[in-house]
Amino acid sequence: MPNYMLLLHGNPDAYLKLSPEEAQKALQKFLAWREKLRSQKILVGSARLKDDVGKVVRGAGKPRVTDGPYTETKEVLGGYFTIEAPDYDAAVALSGDCPHLEYGGTIEVREVVPVPGA
Amino acid sequence: MEPETNAPAHELVDHLFRNRAGQMVAYLTRLLGPEHLDTAEEVVQEAVLKALQTWPYSGTPENPAGWLFRVARNAAFDVLKHEKLVCQKSVELGVLVDGAGAPDLPGDPEFEEQLRDDELRMLLMCCHPAISRDARLALSLKTVGGFSTREIARAFLSEEAAILQRLVRAKRQIRIDGIGLELPRGEALAQRLDSALEAIYLMFNEGYATHSGTELIRKELCGEALRLAQLLADSSVSTPACHALVALLAFQAARLPARVDGRGELVLLEDQDRTLWNQALLAVGFLHMSLCAEGVEVSAFHLQAAIAALHASAEGDRQTDWVKMLDLYDQLMEISPSPVVALNRAVVVAKVKGAPEGLEELRRLADDRSLQNYYLLPATEASLLLQIGDKDGAARVFREALKRPCSEPEKRLLIQRLAQCELIAPCFY
Repeated sequence: MPNYMLLLHGNPDAYLKLSPEEAQKALQKFLAWREKLRSQKILVGSARLKDDVGKVVRGAGKPRVTDGPYTETKEVLGGYFTIEAPDYDAAVALSGDCPHLEYGGTIEVREVVPVPGA
Repeated sequence: MEPETNAPAHELVDHLFRNRAGQMVAYLTRLLGPEHLDTAEEVVQEAVLKALQTWPYSGTPENPAGWLFRVARNAAFDVLKHEKLVCQKSVELGVLVDGAGAPDLPGDPEFEEQLRDDELRMLLMCCHPAISRDARLALSLKTVGGFSTREIARAFLSEEAAILQRLVRAKRQIRIDGIGLELPRGEALAQRLDSALEAIYLMFNEGYATHSGTELIRKELCGEALRLAQLLADSSVSTPACHALVALLAFQAARLPARVDGRGELVLLEDQDRTLWNQALLAVGFLHMSLCAEGVEVSAFHLQAAIAALHASAEGDRQTDWVKMLDLYDQLMEISPSPVVALNRAVVVAKVKGAPEGLEELRRLADDRSLQNYYLLPATEASLLLQIGDKDGAARVFREALKRPCSEPEKRLLIQRLAQCELIAPCFY
């Protein structure tokens, strides 16, 4: 089955106003969603990406480093999940009930192209 | 990376974040000093936020509370370093951060004991008499309870800005007066305990009253008040009054599930299905009822708890020992008289001696200014009028009750009772 990367974009400030109790409720939704993927054995990997040290490197030969890719907007790529799904629509459906969306985030769904012959 | 547990990975203990947030603030305030209460709160919020941003990807760590404590402690250390607050405090904290010192790991019995002590000191600091009454409540909920300003505002039907201002003022008072976490002694300790018991009692009432906030936040407020009362009662500074308060709150909280019916309508005590009362909470109530009997002190909490215990131990309204109840109300009127106690006493007088005597008692309260906006005064009078068969009078007084401020469920209950009068004695206007 092909792998899909779910890239979670969002504004980290969306969570700033949550109280500890509300944060726990939000987290529990996330963990339940994660557990669903795990129990179906379709969660391949996941990681959080630090959102405060993002740097962009550009310019071959004489690389210039600028601050995070998202300095213009407050949006950052907060992390990703890699999942197995039969097809693109199924991957989108699995993203559809990710609580990230409830908190104003967006999810970019990308198919991982397998290395031919591997 | 934290190893992921195999057991239900997404399960977290109820209120883990809120309760641990309160503990972390108390713990860090001890390490940093009360003048850094704001810093403690900030780094705790940061730790909670970080958990929310990390655990979805990593799963729940083995020791969630330990994770939170470690992150908050490291963040506090960073703040000290950043502000160049190199002092004894930062050295102590540094040892903890390095892991060279005591483990300070939640779950460790000794550390948990220390945390309870931290919470206790924090609660007593928040209830310092120099801090205004309103602010004591808000500050306790914020720092010990782990409630947010928004949640406190919602519970008190107040503006968030107003609560925030109250908190800022209270914290300024703490700085100006150099109020610390040391436990006071002797008479000062007794005063501080009284102040804390009062704050907890008000916190519970705020949650219990049907006039404010949403059902959920009110239940949480009652739960937190009971937790704090238990914290005091189980502590080294406990007094019989602390146990009396726990008993009172546990009995009251036990009745909550029966107070509203399936359609969300209010059910009066006499009509409640007593099998719905929470047995575990009743047991807590009776346990602390026996503990509060130690010593000679009889506080207002003792009497209120005894009244609640009488209700709790009766099979129904008819089986209630109203004579004993009246005696308790008489004693309560002696040591802590108030118009509301007098109103409740009048209901009991009616039970023991009959409705006319109850009405007589109510007449004495008719001119009491503090009850002018209290709908329960006319509502009680109307109920008693109905009992003596004065349906027109009852209808008139129920209408008077409806003019006074009350919640929607209370209003519906009044309208329903009004309809009962009119059903029997229709009145046309």
